[in-house]
Amino acid sequence: MTRPAGTAELLRSGFTDGERAGRLLEELVERCGAGHLEDRRRLLEEFAGVADPDQALLGVVRLVEADGELVDMVATPGPARQRLLAVLGASSALTDHLVHHPEQVHAVSERAPVDPAAIPRSVAPVVAAAEAPERAGEEDLERRGMDALRVAYREQLVRVVADDLTSEDPLAAMPPVAAVLADLAGAALQAATDLARALVPGSGGVRFAVVGLGKCGGQELNYVSDVDVIFLAEPDAGTSDDEAVRVGERLASTVMRVCHASTSEGTLWPVDAALRPEGKQGPLVRTLASHREYYRRWARTWEFQALLKARPVAGDLELAQEWCGMVRPLVWGAGSQPGFVEEVQGMRRRVEEQVPSAESDRQLKLGPGGLRDIEFSVQLLQLVHGRADETLRSGTTLEALAALRDGGYVGREDAAALDTSYRYLRVLEHRVQLHRMRRTHLMPADEASLRRLGRAVGERGEAAAAVLQRWRSHQREVRRLHERLFYRPLLVAVAQLSTDEVRLTPEAARERLAALGFRDPAGAMRHLEALTSGVSRRATIQRHLLPVMLGWFAGGADPDAGLLAFRRISETLGSTHWYLRMLRDEGTAAQRLAHVLSTSRYVVDLLIRSPETVALLGDQAGLQPPGAEVLAARMAAASRRHQEADAAFLAVRTVRARELLRVVLADLVGDLDQAGVRSALTALTDCLLQAALEVATRVVLDRRGEEQAVDLLVVGMGRLGGAELGYVSDADVMYVYRPRDWDEQTAQRAAAQAEDIIAELRRGLSKPGPDPTLELDAGLRPEGRSGPLVRSLESYQAYYARWSAGWESQALLRARPVAGDERLAAEYESLIDPLRWPEGGLEARTVREIRRLKARMEGERLPRGADRRTHFKLGYGGLSDVEWVVQLLQLEHGHEVAALRTTSTLVAMQAAVEAGLLSSDDAAALRRAWSLGSRLRDAGVLWRGRPVDSVPSDARDAEGISRIIGRGPGQGGELADEWRRTARRCRQVVERVFYGEEPGSGAGGP
Amino acid sequence: MDRQQEYVLRTIEERDIRFVRLWFTDVLGALKSVAVAPAELEQAFVEGIGFDGSAIEGFTRVYEADMIVQPDAATFQVLPWRGDKPGTARMFCDIRMPDGRAAAADSRHVLRRALDSAGEDGFTFYTHPEIEFYLFKDPYEPGQPPVPLDHAGYFDHVARGDGHDFRRAAITLLEQMGISVEFSHHEGGPGQNEIDLRYADALSMADNIMTFRTVVREVALQHGAFASFMPKPLAEHPGSGMHTHLSLFEGDQNAFYEPTARYELSTVGRRFTAGVLRHAREICAVTNQWVNSYKRIWGGAEAPAHVCWGHNNRSALVRVPMYSIGKGHSRRVEIRSIDAACNPYLAFAVVLQAGLKGIREEYELPPEAEDDVWSLTPGERRAMGIAELPQSLGEAIAVMEDSELVAETLGESVFDFFLRNKRQEWADYRSQVTTFELDRYLVRL
Repeated sequence: MTRPAGTAELLRSGFTDGERAGRLLEELVERCGAGHLEDRRRLLEEFAGVADPDQALLGVVRLVEADGELVDMVATPGPARQRLLAVLGASSALTDHLVHHPEQVHAVSERAPVDPAAIPRSVAPVVAAAEAPERAGEEDLERRGMDALRVAYREQLVRVVADDLTSEDPLAAMPPVAAVLADLAGAALQAATDLARALVPGSGGVRFAVVGLGKCGGQELNYVSDVDVIFLAEPDAGTSDDEAVRVGERLASTVMRVCHASTSEGTLWPVDAALRPEGKQGPLVRTLASHREYYRRWARTWEFQALLKARPVAGDLELAQEWCGMVRPLVWGAGSQPGFVEEVQGMRRRVEEQVPSAESDRQLKLGPGGLRDIEFSVQLLQLVHGRADETLRSGTTLEALAALRDGGYVGREDAAALDTSYRYLRVLEHRVQLHRMRRTHLMPADEASLRRLGRAVGERGEAAAAVLQRWRSHQREVRRLHERLFYRPLLVAVAQLSTDEVRLTPEAARERLAALGFRDPAGAMRHLEALTSGVSRRATIQRHLLPVMLGWFAGGADPDAGLLAFRRISETLGSTHWYLRMLRDEGTAAQRLAHVLSTSRYVVDLLIRSPETVALLGDQAGLQPPGAEVLAARMAAASRRHQEADAAFLAVRTVRARELLRVVLADLVGDLDQAGVRSALTALTDCLLQAALEVATRVVLDRRGEEQAVDLLVVGMGRLGGAELGYVSDADVMYVYRPRDWDEQTAQRAAAQAEDIIAELRRGLSKPGPDPTLELDAGLRPEGRSGPLVRSLESYQAYYARWSAGWESQALLRARPVAGDERLAAEYESLIDPLRWPEGGLEARTVREIRRLKARMEGERLPRGADRRTHFKLGYGGLSDVEWVVQLLQLEHGHEVAALRTTSTLVAMQAAVEAGLLSSDDAAALRRAWSLGSRLRDAGVLWRGRPVDSVPSDARDAEGISRIIGRGPGQGGELADEWRRTARRCRQVVERVFYGEEPGSGAGGP
Repeated sequence: MDRQQEYVLRTIEERDIRFVRLWFTDVLGALKSVAVAPAELEQAFVEGIGFDGSAIEGFTRVYEADMIVQPDAATFQVLPWRGDKPGTARMFCDIRMPDGRAAAADSRHVLRRALDSAGEDGFTFYTHPEIEFYLFKDPYEPGQPPVPLDHAGYFDHVARGDGHDFRRAAITLLEQMGISVEFSHHEGGPGQNEIDLRYADALSMADNIMTFRTVVREVALQHGAFASFMPKPLAEHPGSGMHTHLSLFEGDQNAFYEPTARYELSTVGRRFTAGVLRHAREICAVTNQWVNSYKRIWGGAEAPAHVCWGHNNRSALVRVPMYSIGKGHSRRVEIRSIDAACNPYLAFAVVLQAGLKGIREEYELPPEAEDDVWSLTPGERRAMGIAELPQSLGEAIAVMEDSELVAETLGESVFDFFLRNKRQEWADYRSQVTTFELDRYLVRL
């Protein structure tokens, strides 16, 4: 080297600090002495090949400083120097190690086979010394042994690192590297075991072995990670079981300490025995028999998953082998254990759950698209199918994946893509760990480290950006893992296509469906077959869609129902031009469809009645319910297109069916809240009644050939009047008419017309139609069921003046004109206002009567099978309780507090709070019960398609309802308690506020 | 496999045990028992044994009657009074639903939930009960007053005392069953005895109390007597309580102990005590669950009718006992209202939760009561802010109805069942015409 290297040239070679590199290079030349380092360009080329040239150069200088004899090697171009530079450039930790132990540089530079057996050999002298009769202090021997072990382990490790870093194809080299790392760990454990046996007195009479689990057992270890093991002890030659376990525990804890303790030579890695029976609570060491008992009776599915990778690694290998032989049948029988499906689903959920941490987007290992995701999914498939198919039982992820591919359990291309992604992610992980020899699974955040990492995996130029991009793209691949691994092969299994690929057998497909949560796998198979067989466009698109959709069905509360409904809808609509296109192209439409079908039988019923409404799912904005005016216009327009009565009613009800579905879908997958659902359902019913009244009027007048002689009014009562309808509510109504003229003839004709029109209205709405029938209940009319269905305004007037009972005033609190003539509506309201908001409030006597009436109703029998303690509507603290409280306040104070004059329960309650009639705490308890009760009733309809009156005792039903009201999976069991708690608190308020009881004033109560 | 269960199976074989009784407790504290043959036991450990829960007080609604008992191997004991060859043993059980969930109505589960809640705050809960009971001559003739076994008094040594032999026999049996007895003596009333159990964690202790009642009844029968834990069997003599010493431990440190504090009672201890006092009225229907319980509470003398605490004050509801310097681990408080006929699982659970609430919400301990509270006038007591426990079961139920604390502790369904059952008991009681009324009114009015 005759002149200093130019800064630009150095930068081109990958150095980042050219000036500093120049200085160091000069220093190196100086140390090597004149005549050496002739070929400067070759040297720079070799630096350019390493991950971090700056770090490598500094490392070389430090090495030469530490050991002058290395000068020759450093000065000689060729593979030896390349290997050294590669290690120095990739790992600052190993650089430090080599500077500390220059004698190991040859292990890096010379290409020689890795020799794990050298590690136990290194501690042999210490072992011999310990076993000698005049042994020195134990402390000292243990320390010497540990140091020797560490040095010997690193000597082998640097060989592996050098081989790894200089391999032609790091992805191809990844499995052998991981395997040899596992061998080194095994050898280190063997050395530690030898040492422990020499140090622990009385270990002669005990057989002791170490079984590797996890990545160590699977022969796919990282550079730095916990090594998972299980320790075994067995008595030998006259020792008792207890003695063997006692000595075994000392041996095991010594092995752990020997590997993990920090000495002047550093540490190896933590040995983790937490996967043993009973985990950290269990004894560290057990005998074979004790293990057998535990696994046979107690072990859970995830424990078997951990054992799947078990392999003897150290100590008495025969004993370890015996243990492995003992657990193997148990592992592969795990699939037939009770609760397997639930546990698998739970595990799957945990895997899919995002890791909530600030670093989650830098995780190589955890989270969706991470290494753990691949490993776990492969293991799950092994457990599901490995019972019947012994070829699937490899402990190594990549081998298992290949076996799954060969057996047809996973598609060939999918397996290949996953294989590549797994290797790439592992290589990244290895390189990240190498730098400081730390146990980490995070992508670096700083530019310099990313650059080093990028260069270490072969990126040049913008290495930092390039490695990030490539990592993200692999992550995306892996995210689609479940579709690829779990679902797609199911379709290949049922598709009747000629393909040379090996296919999942029907048995295996059924096993898998069961593991995914389908309760009737054979039925699911039939549906899949029907959906995907043939060569039609429909079958082709569905084959494409279903792998993803199956995953969504499996995530719902009732996967079987979802799949069946999908089949039925697809059979109806599959030949339309838009249906499949929408599912394929409209982003989330397919996901929403799968979700609602596996969540709600009510939706399924609606969709089966009018399948074309599925189109609503294609458009997120389409899930916003239109306002009442738009609805009214739509219905009016629809009815006007038809002269004939039945056709006109059908047209109106078709609009309703569509709008009802819109509300339900917006409820389940949109962002409509509960108040929104209630007001949308009310608006829909109002408009339906208005449109139906118009149709009926037109039809009747036509039929009678008369002029209209009457004005009509439909008054909504109950929840309809309160504008708080749910899916379950009947529509409580009353009918009012008034002749348009007062001469006797007109009056008579008016009465006849009114009766006819209302009869026609009821007929038109009660026939089977495209929408669920709206039950019109006129039971709240004067004289109840024995009174005339339709009355004139005058008749109401007369009746109210003379006969009206207290309960009628109360019922009128929620009377709201919903359809018909507006002037008549105004007059009717001015007629009833003095009744429902009586001037001066209520007399004490009336209040007493109302209380008594309520108490008597509580004393009466509930409907069959209903339980006063759990009934949503009539139970203690249920809907009816809340409504009575509010209504009593309205009757008493409506005349003086204008805001109380509303038909809405919640609005009136709020008004009562603002007027100081109800404390806000009490109102909160009432509101909670009313809202939860209403919601549960609605959720019951959505889930089962018919009303439920209390939280079902059937766990599946409770779960389904619990999910609909937005609780996470697996919480259905607590729903009943939650309702009872809410209702109990509500009831306390009811007793105090409604019955006027002082708290704790007696043992009365329910 | 669980070593404890292995041990049980081995012991059964070695000791030639032919019957194993699976014990559990209904909501009102009555002991229930199912006998199984040893061959079924392995199965019972793994899967439990099914039974019809609707037959048991407070367990289920009829339509979900299937329940499972699952023995807790840690509670295995041979029953010494059943003889040796062949022997009989017992285990306490947890009650589960067929899908593996713990049954809401299982008293052990209620207590366990409370202990878990304490565990979350790092506490374990220890109790040490002093159980009082009467021995009467067997058999009891309905309509006749019960005849006490002797006529001795507090701490009396009774020559030829059947009670003496009785206590020796009972203690021997208890010790054989692994229940350590701390102390035993003749109590104030004729035929009344007290046996104190050595402190243990609350769940084991509740199991022990259930065992204790059985043992005492068995031994009494062997001595030609019967034992009664009725809170107040004789109007003119003291009732039978179950004064219970309570302490919380954090690890192996007594959390109630603070060497420099007054009475060595730490802040945790003071707040715990404050919690027990503040909620004493609402938990009373659980700690004193019978109509008769209130006759003991309001029976005067040392009965704990007033909600206050004192140091060594035998009329206070909560007593902070004398301490011996340097015995930090034994620092404890004594709650004196609980009676011997309670369901110990539920009683311990509500007392614990009341105390924990005091700790969590940092209740202030009211001033100490230094006088005999019974000797104060009602006006004085009111001025001092000393409340009263409920006068009757009826009042106790009414107070409990509004208690979130009790509802949370018991769970909604036990809470509801308990209230309904107790209302019924109160109604039945009120419909009686008593001897008192006849004697006083019949002729005069």
